[in-house]
This record gives sequence, structure tokens and C-alpha cells, in this order.
Amino acid sequence: MTATALVPATRRRRHGKDWAFHIVMSVVTLLWVTPLVFVAAVAVRSFDDISFNGLGTLPHSFTLDAFSTAWNEGNIAGALGNSIIVTVATVVSVLFLASLAAFALSRYPVPYGRAILLVMLAGNLLPPQILLIPVSQICELLGIYDTLFALVVVQVGFGLGFFTFVLYGFMRSLPVEMFEAAKIDGAGDLRIYATIVMPLCRPALAALAALESTWVFNDLLWALTVLRTDTKFPITAALLNLQGGYTSQWNVVAAGALIAAIPTTIVFFAFQKHFVSGLLVGVSK
Amino acid sequence: MSIPTPSRVNLTRRGLFAAGAVVGGSALLSGCLGASPTSNGASNANVALTLQSSLSDPKPKAALEQVVKGYTTYPTTLNTVAIEQFRAQLSTYLTSSNPPDVLTWYAGSVARDYASKGLLLDLSDMWTGNGACAKFSPALKSLSSDANGKQIFVPTNYYWWSVFYRKSAFAEWGVKAPTTWDEFMALCETLKGKGISPLTNGTGSTAWMASGWFDYLDLRINGASYHRELLAGKHSFDSAEVRKVMDTYATLIPYFDPKGRSYTWQEAATPLINKKAGMYLIGAFVTQAFPAADVDDVDFFSVPPINSSVPSAEEAPTDGYFASAATKNAAATKDLLGYLASAKEQQLFIAQSGSSNLPTSSEVDSSGFSALVQKGMKLLASTQEITQFFNRDSSDALQATADAALTKFLDNPTQVATILTDWQTAAKKVWGS
Amino acid sequence: MSVTHDLSRDRGAIREPDDRPPVGRRRRRLSRRVPPVVWLLLLIPFLVETGWVFYPAFNSFQLSFTKWNGVGVAQPVGLRNYTDMLSDPIFATALRNNVFWVVGFGGLSVVAGLGLALALNKPRRGIGIYRSAIYLPMVFSLAVTGLFWRVMYQPDGPVNVVLAAIGINTKEHQWLADPNTALGAILVAAIWRQAGYIMVLYLAGLKGCDPALEEAAAVDGANKWQRFRYIVMPQLKNVNTVIFAVTVIDSLRTFDIVWAMTRGGPYNTTQLLSTYMYQVGFTLVNLGYGSALAVVIFLLAIAFIITYLARATRED
Repeated sequence: MTATALVPATRRRRHGKDWAFHIVMSVVTLLWVTPLVFVAAVAVRSFDDISFNGLGTLPHSFTLDAFSTAWNEGNIAGALGNSIIVTVATVVSVLFLASLAAFALSRYPVPYGRAILLVMLAGNLLPPQILLIPVSQICELLGIYDTLFALVVVQVGFGLGFFTFVLYGFMRSLPVEMFEAAKIDGAGDLRIYATIVMPLCRPALAALAALESTWVFNDLLWALTVLRTDTKFPITAALLNLQGGYTSQWNVVAAGALIAAIPTTIVFFAFQKHFVSGLLVGVSK
Repeated sequence: MSIPTPSRVNLTRRGLFAAGAVVGGSALLSGCLGASPTSNGASNANVALTLQSSLSDPKPKAALEQVVKGYTTYPTTLNTVAIEQFRAQLSTYLTSSNPPDVLTWYAGSVARDYASKGLLLDLSDMWTGNGACAKFSPALKSLSSDANGKQIFVPTNYYWWSVFYRKSAFAEWGVKAPTTWDEFMALCETLKGKGISPLTNGTGSTAWMASGWFDYLDLRINGASYHRELLAGKHSFDSAEVRKVMDTYATLIPYFDPKGRSYTWQEAATPLINKKAGMYLIGAFVTQAFPAADVDDVDFFSVPPINSSVPSAEEAPTDGYFASAATKNAAATKDLLGYLASAKEQQLFIAQSGSSNLPTSSEVDSSGFSALVQKGMKLLASTQEITQFFNRDSSDALQATADAALTKFLDNPTQVATILTDWQTAAKKVWGS
Repeated sequence: MSVTHDLSRDRGAIREPDDRPPVGRRRRRLSRRVPPVVWLLLLIPFLVETGWVFYPAFNSFQLSFTKWNGVGVAQPVGLRNYTDMLSDPIFATALRNNVFWVVGFGGLSVVAGLGLALALNKPRRGIGIYRSAIYLPMVFSLAVTGLFWRVMYQPDGPVNVVLAAIGINTKEHQWLADPNTALGAILVAAIWRQAGYIMVLYLAGLKGCDPALEEAAAVDGANKWQRFRYIVMPQLKNVNTVIFAVTVIDSLRTFDIVWAMTRGGPYNTTQLLSTYMYQVGFTLVNLGYGSALAVVIFLLAIAFIITYLARATRED
């Protein structure tokens, strides 16, 4: 009774709230997007325009030259290829290995398991800068210095602790009844991992894959530490080369930055669906 | 909850296989990708040379690429790494078991430091007899020598620092280039009265620009010998001589465009280009920032003398190459260096790089160079002393102390006494180590 | 030990001898012993991390007791790097800034991310656009972000122009050149970027929250704040732990954005421990002292995180 009497009022209130919501969010969105618009505005200016008028002004010119310069002279195509290879290999490897470790730690009475987990996480607490020189020396020793393989391995090693920790938390929250039912059915440990745990982890894996791919794709320091030949550079290092020690062609840097942002944008939109649909699996019981 | 259906089982198994394939495939691919970097396709395939370059500015980079393409004796790979990262990796490059053969850098403290550790190839034979550098000036030779008198560096171009301005702007304002310090100060006053910033400087994230004026005022007031000794730790930063320099610097502060504290050196060139500022003490590389159409409008005058009892001096940083001592083929490396140092290649590089550099080889035909560059050559030929620049003459560590001290001074000139004391404390730590 | 006792507690698990762990822990385990293949599952990742992280880290710890400039042999100097730190004014500034940064960047980005996630959680028209717009800054690298924000903060740049347009006259304030505003200005840029990331993590977590519980509480008369505090937040516990870890790690590792915007200036007033360490280690090539600074960062991170996480990961 009281509920039906309330309905018209709530509907009216929600209408008003709807408008307020959209206005506030539109303002927030505009604020958020402004710097990106700024980058785009710089990317379509000419070098002379920027020299003469400065970077902070509205564009006085319009040209797409910066994009073609970035593409041709900046080796952007090759660098993007390198970035994609390294990112895919790293994300797949690190999530795979982390899921193994998380599975072992979350479902089995590993002695000192919690300590092992925290030690692995502690590996992520180190500032990467200080590992640069020892890591490059190890790469030299192993003979993999200046290879993309080294970059992948280094990134995997460095990300393992954190992803093990996150997946551990996720796996621990999975209902224990499924495991016990599987055990009764005689499933082996690996089978349980592959057929039960991993599918259920899909939403978490999707979220982590999207985030880690952004991290790896945008990494700069490791690339410059283990790579020396500039044709092997990923996109971040190639962009850095567009900035000279003396002069920078800001429009080309901006164009390059926009091109470099395309893969990560695609990844985000692709994985976004996984967040929404995949995660609802956990909700229905 | 029931056990997953068979279709889901297959999916995940397939997923695992796919994952494995991707990892394996990428590893293979990444191995393969490493195999074919850009090279100049030269004939002698047994020896391959690597030239590691820090010249990532667009035109110099293109110029060097062209120079390397013309080298056909040995296949050579040119790798370009942005200069800050190049410097951070330089030790790693030189101590690697398979180092780059030739590396770009400049003459000065860094080269001598690496030479003292035995990391640089001895190039003395290039400086004698028919060697490529044999005809270079004695000043260049001593600049390229290490503490033991061996040559470890090949200089290929240098540039000068001066006060740059636009001819058309001066004409518009009805002023001319000063020849004495008083004229210079009067000029600043006149420009200020017209609503123009007399001086511009980019001391934001390129804080080392503040050392330009410091160096020149020290050279003009105390002389080049004192300046060199100061940077070597033989004098103190809170001495009376340095105080005199700072007091003169303080008289210039009101004339600087205040926005320069947020600019890089390149952004600070914009007011010069669009005639909102009058003069810029900077290296000749400033022409790289100008629109192509306006480069001919650029002119310069040397910082006027202040103290007539000290010899004339200019800053002329010298760039070039050194080679790794652990190179696999010293003869080939020296051959490449000789090529880079040859008059023809110096000329090609300078013409293409657009940054108003001067050749180190006297055999380069300079008649084709711009009027600006020819004037620069005359300036350096007639000056009595040449220094490099603060960091090249001392060390990167000391430069860091100068950056902090001088930018703080620019913001708070009245605190000059404490600033100098703090500077000396920081500098002592650098010299002491 | 009676058989009936076993059966009443176990739910299908294999009967095992007496010395089992207490009920709570046992219910989560798949078996009493750890099968060898599972040891392998744990060992491979652990070894990878040992080789690439722990061993270089150990090297660095060793380096912190030496003086080294990248070539030749490192000279052992005992604790001198650490005592030098105590009398280093730049270190003191960096430490202070870091604490401010962890609290400011960490705190505000989490609050912003959570707020945005709560606002954009329920499906609505246009929600995809809002979410995407807020996440979009993450697609640019930190270095690029720093670069362009530096330009935006210039005295005649967009920030001052926009502020003037909405009526705040900043008189062409030089945000990044003024020691009083520089770090705060960088903070704004960093939060702008990070909030979308935290928002996505919270959105994922909120999806796992049962809406039925919230509706039941609403019917019972709980207001929005009470529902949030007593129904939603507890369900976010796991996500909160992850986000706390992520935030502390990111705060202590912040480097690119500060370096790109100010290089630690003006005159070292925006130095964080990570930028100072980079400058010492790579611009000044004083690797012993740089390593010592890294050890300090590491210890700080441990202090912030490990105690909290040890408690949070305790079996319940």
C-alpha cells in the first residue's frame, strides 16, 4: 500500500535526479577529456605555428603532416608491432604463471603459504629504477641482452607478485563446495585448475589483463634498460626519440602519442564487455 | 553448483593451448625480430659496426642517417636513443661484453672519466701523421685527450654561445647591437620601456640554461682561468669573486621574461621568434627552433666585456664521437671514425642538420655556410679562450648543484648569501667524492 | 578420535588422521598434503620472480653499502650512504613530499575512483560514455601525460585560460615554477589519470555485490549512507585490499609524471624519493647512494603494506 503510494513520487524524484546526474557527469566528463582534446589540438598544428605562437595557444593552423612524420620518421609502425608482441606475450605469461601460483597458495596447505605470498608481493614494492643495472647485467650474462624476449621475461618477473596476490584473493572467494564436489568426482588437481578455477576467474583475468596490458604497453624504463637497437624499441621509447635533446617537434610527439594510445584504447573497450558480462556469473548463485 | 559442461572444458583447454602457442610464438617472433635491424647494406659482411647515437633531434638525426648510409666499407647499424636515457645507459653500453663500437658524446669530464677506467679506445694514432684528426687545432687535441695525454675522442662539430636576436625586430624597435656592457644595460632598459621583455631564458625543466649567464658573467668578470679552477674545486662558490658574478646577474633579473621560469629552452625561444622578447643568450642550436623562413633573420652579438683585464672568452661546446675499448674490431672502428671526421662528411652533416654547427676540420669549405655561421667562426677564431659549458667542464653532479642554486637565485635574488653557502656545501660533496 | 566426529565435520572430504587443522582453515583446502604437481605450480613462478626480482634486489641492497659509478669495482663504504642521507636536505624534502604524495595521491584517487564507480554503477543511458571518458587518460603513458600537463600548466596555457574563463583570475600563475603550488599541480594531473583506473577496479568489485541485500536494507529503512557503509563496503573487502596495495605501490613508484613535469624542480622542491633516486643513480651516476635510497623506498612500502596485508590475508 505504502509502496504504491510512493511510486509516483519516486518516479518524479528520479526524473529530477536523472537530469542532475547527467549534468554533473557531463561536466566531469568534459573536464576529464579536455587534456586529451588539447593533445589532439597540438597534433594537428604545424611546427612553425607552434614555434611562433607557443604551445599553449589555440591552433593557428591545421595539418595532418605530424601524423605522417611520426609514422614514417618515428618508426611508429615497427615500434607498435614491438609493443604489441611484448604486451601480449607478457600479459598471457604473467597471468598464466600467477594463476598457477595463486591456485597453489589458495587451495593447498602450502607451509608458510601466507609468507610466500607476501614475499612475492614484496617484489613489487621495489622501485624498478634500482633494479635496472643488475637486471641488464643478468641479461648480458644470459646472452639475451637487446632482445624482446628479455623484455618480456623481465616484465613477467616483475609483475608476478602482484597478480599472484590479486588472483589469490579472487580464488579464495570461490565457493569451496565446487572443489569438494569435483574431488568426489575424482578430478585431479590440474583438471580442477583448468576446468573449474580458470573459467570462474575469467572476469578477474579480464580485468587484470586489461590493466596489465596498459602497464606493459606504457612501460619505458625496462625497454630502455634491456634494449639497445632502436628498431626493437617499443612505442614508448620510440616516442621518446621524437623528442630531441635540443628541439622537439611537439606536433609530431602529440601525433605519435595519439597513435600509441590506440591499442590500449582498443584493449580497454574490448575487455570492458568481459567485466560486465563475466562478472555477473559470480552474482547468481 | 554443478561441474562445468564439456563445452566449457574444451574451451579452457583450447585456451591453455592457445596461450602456450602465443607465448611460444611471441618468443620465436621476438627472437626473429631482433635479427634484422637497419643497416646500410655494405659489402664486407664479416665485420659489422654499431654506432650508438644520442642525436634524436629530427634534423641532426636525419643528417647522421645520411652520413652513415654513405659509409660502404663495413655494414654499420645506427641506433638512436634520446639523450637523457642514452646518458643513463652509457655505463651499461661501455661495460657490455658486446658494446657499441662508436658512440656520440661530447668532449669533457664524462669522456675523461670513462677513459680513466680504460673503457675508451685509444685513438692517438688518428691524431698523428696522416690520421683523420691530424690537422685539427691543438686546442681540439687537448680537449680530446685524457689525463695521460692519449687521445680518446674525435670532435666533429661544435657551436658557440652568444646573445641571439632578430635583425628585423631590432630594426623595428630602432635599436642596435651593443658593444659595451653599459650599452647592453641601456638597451635592456630601452626595450623594457617599450613593453618588450629584453631577455628571455628557459629555466623550467631545462634548468641548466641558467648556467649560461653564470658562465659568461664569470668569464667576463673573473676570466677563463678562474672559471675553470672554480669548476674544478679550486675556488669556493661563496667567494667574493663569485659574489660579484651573482650581483651582476641580479641586475639582469628584472629584464628576464618571468614566464621563462616555466619554459624549456625551446619554449623560451617563442617570445624571441614572435618579437615579444629581445635577446636570448644561448647556443647556436637555437636556430633549430625557428621557422625555416625566419632563420636568416637571426643574428648575434657576443656578451660585451665587463672587466678589461681578463682575456676574451667564449663558450664553444664540442660534440663528436668516442669508441669503446672492448670493440671487436678496432681497425674497422677507427676507419668509421675517420670517415665521420672527414671534411666531406662533416660538411654534409652540418649542411643537413640545420643547427648552425661549425666543423672541426679546417678543410671544410665554409663559403657555403650561412652568414650566421661564418660570423660565428670568426668570433671563435678571434677569441683568446674557449670553454665548453658548465657541465662539460666540470661534471653532471656539479651541474645539478648549479641548477638548484641558480634557479633558486632567480626566484629569490635577495637570498644570495645563503644560496651561495648552500651551493658551496653541495659542491664540496661533489668534489669530495 | 571417534569416527562420528569425523563424519559430522567433513562434507565429503577424505578421512584423515587426527592432527588436522581447525575447522575454518580446513574447509577451504582441497587436500591435507600438497601434491608434487602443485608444488611445481608454485615453484615455477616463484623461481621466475627470484631470478628477475629478488636476485637483482639483493644486488641492489649490497650496492647500497658501496660507492660505485657503474664501471669497475664497487668500493665498500659501510653505512656511509645511509648516514649521508640523514644530513641530505634534498632527501628530507623528498621524504616529506613522498608522505604527502602517498596520502594525497593515494587517498584522493581512491575517493575519486570509488565515488565515480558508485555513481556510474547502475546501468543508465550514456553510462558507457561517462565510464570510457574517465578511463581514457589511462591509455596514455605517464610520460606523455606529464609532458602535456606541463605545457597546460604554463602561465599562458590552457589551465590559466580556463580558470580565467570561469572567473578565477590567476594572474598567469606559474604553477610548476612556484615551489608552493608545483607538487599540488602535479597531484591534480596524477589523480586525473589514476581515478579512472581505480574506478574500473571498483566497478568490477561492485558487480560482485549482491543487489538483493541492498534492496532488503532499503526496505528496512536504511538510508544511502548506511546502506553503503554496512552493506556495500563489507562486500568490497577483497577489492579494497587490492586497491590499497595498488595505491601504495603506485604512490611509492610514482616517477614518470613528476620527472616529465618538473624533473624534481624547482630547485628540488618536488623531488619524490623515486625521482631523487633516479637523478642520483642515473644523472649523477652515484649508484651506491641511489641504491640506498631505493632501500629506503622499499622499507617504506613494507611498512605501509605488509602489516595491513598480513592481517587482511589471515584466514577467517
